[in-house]
Amino acid sequence: MEFDGEQSQIDFMVKREVERQVNIQKKKDHKDLGAADNEKVDYFQKIFNEKYYEIFNLITNTKNLSKSDLPDYFNNISNDILTLQKYVAASSLFLRNYDIKKCQQSLNDLTIKCKLLEEELLPKKRFGFKNKTKPNKIDANSHTKIDVVDSKNDKIIDFKANFCGYHDKKSVKLCLRSDEIYKKDVTLENLEDCQITLLGTPSTLHLNHIKDCTILSGPVSTSIFIENCENSNLSIACQQLRLHSSKNVTIFLHVTSRAIMEDCTDIIFGPYNFHYQDKESDFAHAGLDLNINNWKSIDDFNWLNIDKPSPNWRLFEPPDD
Amino acid sequence: MGFLTVLKKMKQKEKEIRILMLGLDNAGKTTILKRFNGEPIDTISPTLGFNIKTLEHKGFKLNMWDVGGQKSLRSYWRNYFECTDGLIWVVDSADKRRLEDCKKELYVLLQEERLAGATLLIFANKQDLPGACTVEELKDILDLESIKTHHWKIVSCSAVTGENLLKGIDWIVEDIAARIFTLD
Ligand SMILES: Nc1nc2c(ncn2[C@@H]2O[C@H](COP(=O)(O)OP(=O)(O)OP(=O)(O)O)[C@@H](O)[C@H]2O)c(=O)[nH]1
Ligand SMILES: [Mg+2]
Repeated sequence: MEFDGEQSQIDFMVKREVERQVNIQKKKDHKDLGAADNEKVDYFQKIFNEKYYEIFNLITNTKNLSKSDLPDYFNNISNDILTLQKYVAASSLFLRNYDIKKCQQSLNDLTIKCKLLEEELLPKKRFGFKNKTKPNKIDANSHTKIDVVDSKNDKIIDFKANFCGYHDKKSVKLCLRSDEIYKKDVTLENLEDCQITLLGTPSTLHLNHIKDCTILSGPVSTSIFIENCENSNLSIACQQLRLHSSKNVTIFLHVTSRAIMEDCTDIIFGPYNFHYQDKESDFAHAGLDLNINNWKSIDDFNWLNIDKPSPNWRLFEPPDD
Repeated sequence: MGFLTVLKKMKQKEKEIRILMLGLDNAGKTTILKRFNGEPIDTISPTLGFNIKTLEHKGFKLNMWDVGGQKSLRSYWRNYFECTDGLIWVVDSADKRRLEDCKKELYVLLQEERLAGATLLIFANKQDLPGACTVEELKDILDLESIKTHHWKIVSCSAVTGENLLKGIDWIVEDIAARIFTLD
């Protein structure tokens, strides 16, 4: 090779350096492959034990720390445990099941030890559920651990926030109009001997604990979820119907995909029969096709026999006249 | 090279990731999957068994397993645990009545040895509904901060509007990739 001038000299050196790097990489790759070949169980055990005791010592050390440092400290420990967990997972290909079990056990011990200590040194906030009171606004930006530690008030999640529908009613006749339910999640709960009409297109509808009621609804754009409903008549339209733990219910149905039932008996299905002024345009708004109605396609999760029909439901037979 | 080592190398070469989608029935698992894949979502029925979909995303091959969440199907979930790199837990954020159930089922999964090491993404779905809980509320109700056994993140989304689906999937794929394909 000839070097004429400074530039070639530099080029040469650059090339040498690249070659050197490539060689180092090659050697490293070779070593990695060899190591994988030789099943690095011993090496794994050594690293695992070192790490294990390191974490163990960290946990033991917590008692010497000031309270304000603890949240971050505990977070670091659980990250270390997680990393070690991953190390085990990544090595699981060459470890015996017995080794994995043992490591898993050690990791569990560490996790539990850490958790107990955390609960002891940093008593946890508690949550309650309330129906009536407004929720304490939870500030999305207040991530500081100190906040959480110092909060003495239990946080309240308001289960009836933005509630749309009716609950706890007896023997009344009620109706919700289009603008009140449009694209909303509507719930009807704990109703007895009521007649409810929903004139419009909710996004979804939940019925729970319904007894001796008549419920008429316009098209629901996604699913209707029904649980604990008995001795009632429903006329409903939706994309999916999911019926659970109900008995003796007659459902006049429009469903564009399918209906399923689980733990139900004495269910009767007929075609949707609720006719009202804006029905056509409501179906269009809800995105439901008026021409597709699979009201006879019912999957009963308690009836796996495909040769015989489920005894839990039957088709509605119009009375002869 | 041992057989398993070869297998592992192959998996790395094809950059395959196995993701399991679970959650209560009606949470929106199948809808999320189809929406993400650009398929129509208005013909989806409740899942009777499971769906598998293979998607290409960011140079990875995602094998997505979507298993039905009906009560009578939950005991079969464990048949799908093996070799899971990531778990997507889908929550119907507006179904407040069943959040306790949802929490219970999630914690059962987190105890599962075969899911140890899997990355956990929680999709707080149905955010388009006015009654939906916020991410902060769900963190409290589901007690997510107590999860120390898995890398986790909660992302609010709506399968109906498509909001944030990409954000969630990007995160889980990156987290898994950083783990599987850089170790060695
Ligand atoms: N409003 C609203 N509805 C949604 C959303 N995601 C899903 N849905 C609806 O919720 C219902 C249930 O969705 P699926 O995807 O079938 O639920 P799943 O979790 O797969 O349920 P299983 O298969 O029974 O486990 C469908 O009617 C969807 O259209 C959402 O983000 N917003
Ligand atoms: Mg499904």
